[in-house]
Amino acid sequence: MTSRIPGADEFTSRPMPREELLRQISPTLPLHQVDEARAEAVDALTYEVVRHRLWAITQEMGETLRRMSGSHVVTESNDFNFSICDELGEQVQVGTFNIGLIGSMDLAIVWTLRNRSDNPGIAEGDMFLCNDPWIGGGLHQNDAAILAPIFHEGKLFGWTTAIAHQVDLGGPRPGSFSPSAQDVFGEAAPTPPLKVVRGGVLQRDVAEAWVRRSRLPHLVGLDLRAKIAANKNAAEQILRLITKYGADTVKLVMRRMMDDAERRLRAKLETLPDGTWTAVGYQEQSGTGDRGLYAIKVAMTKQADRLVFDFRGTAGQTGIINCPYPGLRAGIVFTMLPLLAGDIPWAAGGLMRCFEIVTDEDTITNASFPAAVGKGPFGPAWGAGNLVAEVLAKMLDAEPDHRTDVQSICNGTTDLCVVSGVDVRGGGSKGFVSPVFDVMAGGYGAQVYHDGVDTGGRLIIPSARAPDVEMTEYLYPLVALWRREQTDSGGPGRQRGGMSGSVCYVQHPDQQGTMSLVVSGTGKVANQNVGLAGGYPGNSQLDLVVRDVDLPQLVDAATIPGGLDELGGHVEVLPCEGESTLGPGDALYLHWQAGGGYGDPLLRPAEDVRDDVLQVRVSTAAARDVYGVVLREDGEVDPAATDGLRQELRTRRASGAGLPSTPPAAISTPELEETRRLDDNLVVLDSPDGGTVACAHCGTEIGPLAGGDFVAALARREAAPTEAGPHIWHDPTEYVDAQIVFRQLFCPGCLTAVHSRVVPVDHPLPVDDYRSWA
Amino acid sequence: MPYALGIDVGGTFTDAVASDGAGRMVSAKTPTTPPNREVGVMRAIEDLAGELGIGVGELLSRTDYIAHGTTASINALVQGQVADVGLIATKGHRDAIYIMNAEGRTLGRSAHEIQDTLRRRKPAPLIPKYRALEVTERVDHAGKILVPLDEDEVRRVARTLVDQGVEAIAVCLLWSFKNGIHEQRVRELIHEIAPDLYVTLSSEVSPRIREFARTSTTIMNAQIGPRLRTYLLPLQQQLEEGGLKGPLLVMQSEGGTITADRAPEHAITTVGSVLSGGVIGGMRLAEQLGHHNVITTDVGGTTFLAGLIVDGEPVMAPGSIVNQFPINAATIRVHTIGSGGGAIASVDDGGNLRLGPQSAEAVPGPACYGNGGTRPTNTDANLVLGILSERGLLGGRKPLSLDLARQAIREHVAEPLGLTVEQAAIAIHEVQNAQAGDLVRRAVVQAGYDPRDFVVYAFGGAGPAHCAGYCQDLGVREVVVPLGPVASAFSAYGLAASDVALSAELSDPVTFPVDHTVLESHFAQLEADLHRALDRQKVKFHDVSLHREIDLRYSMQTTELATAVPDGNFSERTGDEILERFEEQYERINGSGSGYREAGVQAITYRVRAKASLGFPVTLPEIPAADGPDPADALLGHRSVCLDSQIGFVTTPVYDYALLRSGHELVGPAIVDVPTTVVVVPAGVTGRVDHLGNLVLRYQ
Repeated sequence: MTSRIPGADEFTSRPMPREELLRQISPTLPLHQVDEARAEAVDALTYEVVRHRLWAITQEMGETLRRMSGSHVVTESNDFNFSICDELGEQVQVGTFNIGLIGSMDLAIVWTLRNRSDNPGIAEGDMFLCNDPWIGGGLHQNDAAILAPIFHEGKLFGWTTAIAHQVDLGGPRPGSFSPSAQDVFGEAAPTPPLKVVRGGVLQRDVAEAWVRRSRLPHLVGLDLRAKIAANKNAAEQILRLITKYGADTVKLVMRRMMDDAERRLRAKLETLPDGTWTAVGYQEQSGTGDRGLYAIKVAMTKQADRLVFDFRGTAGQTGIINCPYPGLRAGIVFTMLPLLAGDIPWAAGGLMRCFEIVTDEDTITNASFPAAVGKGPFGPAWGAGNLVAEVLAKMLDAEPDHRTDVQSICNGTTDLCVVSGVDVRGGGSKGFVSPVFDVMAGGYGAQVYHDGVDTGGRLIIPSARAPDVEMTEYLYPLVALWRREQTDSGGPGRQRGGMSGSVCYVQHPDQQGTMSLVVSGTGKVANQNVGLAGGYPGNSQLDLVVRDVDLPQLVDAATIPGGLDELGGHVEVLPCEGESTLGPGDALYLHWQAGGGYGDPLLRPAEDVRDDVLQVRVSTAAARDVYGVVLREDGEVDPAATDGLRQELRTRRASGAGLPSTPPAAISTPELEETRRLDDNLVVLDSPDGGTVACAHCGTEIGPLAGGDFVAALARREAAPTEAGPHIWHDPTEYVDAQIVFRQLFCPGCLTAVHSRVVPVDHPLPVDDYRSWA
Repeated sequence: MPYALGIDVGGTFTDAVASDGAGRMVSAKTPTTPPNREVGVMRAIEDLAGELGIGVGELLSRTDYIAHGTTASINALVQGQVADVGLIATKGHRDAIYIMNAEGRTLGRSAHEIQDTLRRRKPAPLIPKYRALEVTERVDHAGKILVPLDEDEVRRVARTLVDQGVEAIAVCLLWSFKNGIHEQRVRELIHEIAPDLYVTLSSEVSPRIREFARTSTTIMNAQIGPRLRTYLLPLQQQLEEGGLKGPLLVMQSEGGTITADRAPEHAITTVGSVLSGGVIGGMRLAEQLGHHNVITTDVGGTTFLAGLIVDGEPVMAPGSIVNQFPINAATIRVHTIGSGGGAIASVDDGGNLRLGPQSAEAVPGPACYGNGGTRPTNTDANLVLGILSERGLLGGRKPLSLDLARQAIREHVAEPLGLTVEQAAIAIHEVQNAQAGDLVRRAVVQAGYDPRDFVVYAFGGAGPAHCAGYCQDLGVREVVVPLGPVASAFSAYGLAASDVALSAELSDPVTFPVDHTVLESHFAQLEADLHRALDRQKVKFHDVSLHREIDLRYSMQTTELATAVPDGNFSERTGDEILERFEEQYERINGSGSGYREAGVQAITYRVRAKASLGFPVTLPEIPAADGPDPADALLGHRSVCLDSQIGFVTTPVYDYALLRSGHELVGPAIVDVPTTVVVVPAGVTGRVDHLGNLVLRYQ
């Protein structure tokens, strides 16, 4: 918090001990508090019934929002969330929608308590509106929260919150995201908590000031009402619960729900190995015209029952690729909840007590005012989340009981393309602004025992959706030439990453004029959708405008182009961050990100690859070149040719890694029943110096475990990115100056891949320290 | 004497009811006989004839109609035992059914399940990708043809599918609901190659915007249609040969029937037939009892089902979900939780008591059945609490083991929670009541109503034991436990008492209000379609009524609200009138002040429902009256029963239902033993036997 703007640091919120927060709340605001020691006094039956009711109330909040909202982000993509919190904002129950938002809701309440309790006061029937990403209640200015205090007998009992992404809240560019912004003053304005409902009445002046800023005021107005209604309904039901069971009992149940979640997460952490795992990822291009790569670094230390995420060393804030502190916290929460707490009730307040964040100030993941932060959630916050997912997975993979919780990285971020223009179909004239939402159907990362889910959605929005093509064509003057799952896009691996898709739009034949495009996406060269345990990354994101296609707007067409090669015209590659146009003769192509693979693709059972080919998930060429599987003319596996080809590919790996031209060790199944495993490929043999890492497939002893020293003894090859497969972009110089390579680390014996990344050439080798097992 | 028959072919039992329209009603229950279910159906009819003391031939020759509901289609879908189907889609859009709008991981799953993100996967595809093929053609949002259909390509594609040996083909092209001409031509071209092949067109089975749900519906229709045809046609033939006088009708999810010869082509509309039967039964009972607003609750072994009747009509939903795939077929809205009599109680890692959704199913069943089940269920808790006796149901034919029930509860609930077995049992009982109460409350509130304006009907084997409990916090006026002759075959009763129902809809997304001439032409077209469809039913109707509606929403919303359209002629005022109705309904559901007309309103789908009465009064018979309110003559004895954690075990009178008469009054706590169930009357509740033999519970 070292803003250059005097006074700006007042508008930041950080987690704070309860005692400290209580000191900062105005004494004029009476709080309903209970003695926590009594939490265990609530009998099992009452606890269960009240807990169940609170859960049901949050479900209803989600249904109300979905039913009433007009935003496609809400209704078609589920980019919203809500929570029930205690009097100090700790979250007791949250929804399963955009869970990154959970990382910021409590912070907004904390700030509101500190800064609004004396003036204008927090009273019964009030609600506060907020879209300030430094304060929380959302991760960028498009996230608008309504915070609603609940009062019982004159005391502040708790809060409910409802947040939804708004398509447009003003600023220089349609969609409120500007890739050329110099700072936050070139984006939509952040708004600290405003009393939008006073004594139960929507304040017209505040509401109109709010909608006035938007290019889509009706949508924003409708969503405002939806969020207010969701909060109102929830409050009514909570008060009914209090009437029946008493305020103290309900509060004690709330406290115990959070304590229970915390206890269970800590118990799980106790069973996992202690150690420090690291990961480094990149944001590509800091804004329009930039060609840099900017690192986010995390070192996660797990000791007994707690986690520390240390982001020191992350690049300094720059351009538009920044998020304030709530975004960084969201990056951890939206990864940790699904990966570590899928089976623990999401009493998020309790779960968030189990980790700490260490960070420098003024970095791209902890930016100070007035950095541009509109890209925060899908830029650096999501990027940080990918890295958190990677280090968590490495920790989980080393404990056999938790290998079912290991998942390679899902689509590394969204593929943002905001289209705007004036719809003149049918003689009308209606302005429109909308991101293309087909990209919601990202691929999931592969797991140890399962392929990744194809076009499965998003990890950070467990119930993500994409709209039907018909709904998009009804609302906007576009025609989709295709929307399909993209063959070969899933990260190759022993388990294949889930496929992503591509979509190609032209203007509707009755449409006239040029549409504007704002694009943003990172993962076009240094893939964020990485594979684990030697699995390859999923596809590079690719966004194109094809100019002057052969069948402009499909006018008088007798055929429909089936792919890029049938469009004609000439290709314009869209940058990571930038703007472009879509003219009547053009086609827009978006190919969003798939999930990473798990394990070496040369170990994927040949029959599985055959089925992938049959179901159009993998091409015959990739089956051969990447998986080493040869199919006969009838589509069946040729086992001898496959064995031969796989042996040949290993030999090629050896020579690429500079190893002597002895044939690779045979793949076998060494007796390793009782042996400690790090992941799919590596095991630890007992040795006086704390263990020797060996290959699970050939038994070759690699090097010492201590301090991660074995990594230096792995064979290493750096090749052109396309060596990873046809799904990886061939020409990194299109986007960045850095040299990009496909780096693989292999067992020096059998040449099984244990690590496969598309990275800048100066990317560090993995540094993982497995200290001890429980 | 003419008869109407209702036959409900369930997974385990085939239930049947015959009514003579003059107050006499008999029922029968026989095992279902898969895969030849018609055998069980014929046996049930034999049993009905036996009950009536006449021959089967005589019964059939006097039967005006048989209304039939079956779980076979839904079970086939759930278990994936369906016909091999091919799909023909618009070029570029084959994958709609694989992408599933990305929501395939979570559709129809509870929030608890969705939260377990790493375990959520898409379901197995409805058809393998190599049987899903594309053809060149394109229609736009307004129904205009952008690219003509490539007929040669259609022939090639159809030939490929036929060569692959498909039993049916589903055709779903983009925007076909606006212009079905390409789909129709595809069918013609398929039939040139394979004249008898079963073909489903999306523009006929589900003419609604959103291609994913429409494709899913079309494919599922093609998957079950051929087999429904091979089941129904021989059954119909057999019945006709047996002398059946009237038609064989098949119940649909939306609560009305269609004739058996038309049912296979609309197979997907019949998947919810048995669920609907229960709600329709409730609706008919409500007519007889004079109730306008009813919540029907049906608690079986594995599920708890709740439906709503408002102003005498069931509350509908536009679709449902099976195996994480959406079905676009209007259905009586039935809310479900996995919280039936066999729901398993457990304590999770955090010390929370959970009930369901896992069920002990029919096999092994609750621990107390002694069939090898070791996990405690609701039924085990009810046995420990004395609600059930060790003699069990069915007059002692199925005795229960208290020891096994106690052991299961001790091990899995009492010891982990540090409670006694009895405390654990009442905790299970009360959690069940709370969960069920929540579901019912949400069902009512979400539909925009206040539970205090409703009466609850409680049926199903496990409903009557819990209904007084789960209704207590709802504030409903009274709870009716339907007993009498159809107590154990309530769904079959609903079938016998149903009307023929058909609907027609068209999607035309547009800003509303539209000119009244547009309304006029849309509804004229739909009503003409419906009249043609009714004529095809070949049934003589007593009376036909039509209900018009439009699905409206505020501009940009994606959830619509079905809004009733006035009968009669359209005027310039009609549009505004509809708009006012929409906003009134919207505010009732979402709270006053939530309406926002400034945002504009859109119409999406126009719909007309036809209801054609068969004119057969399927009424429940009256039972003999008692001399006075005192039910002492029906007293069987006393048991020690615990119905409330605050009160504990109390010596409680037990009554024999067979000896209760109209007008008897029971003061809680009391238990009523019925052959197929047990009714609980807790302290603070009175139960009165009404003239139809129902037990009516009231809170004091």
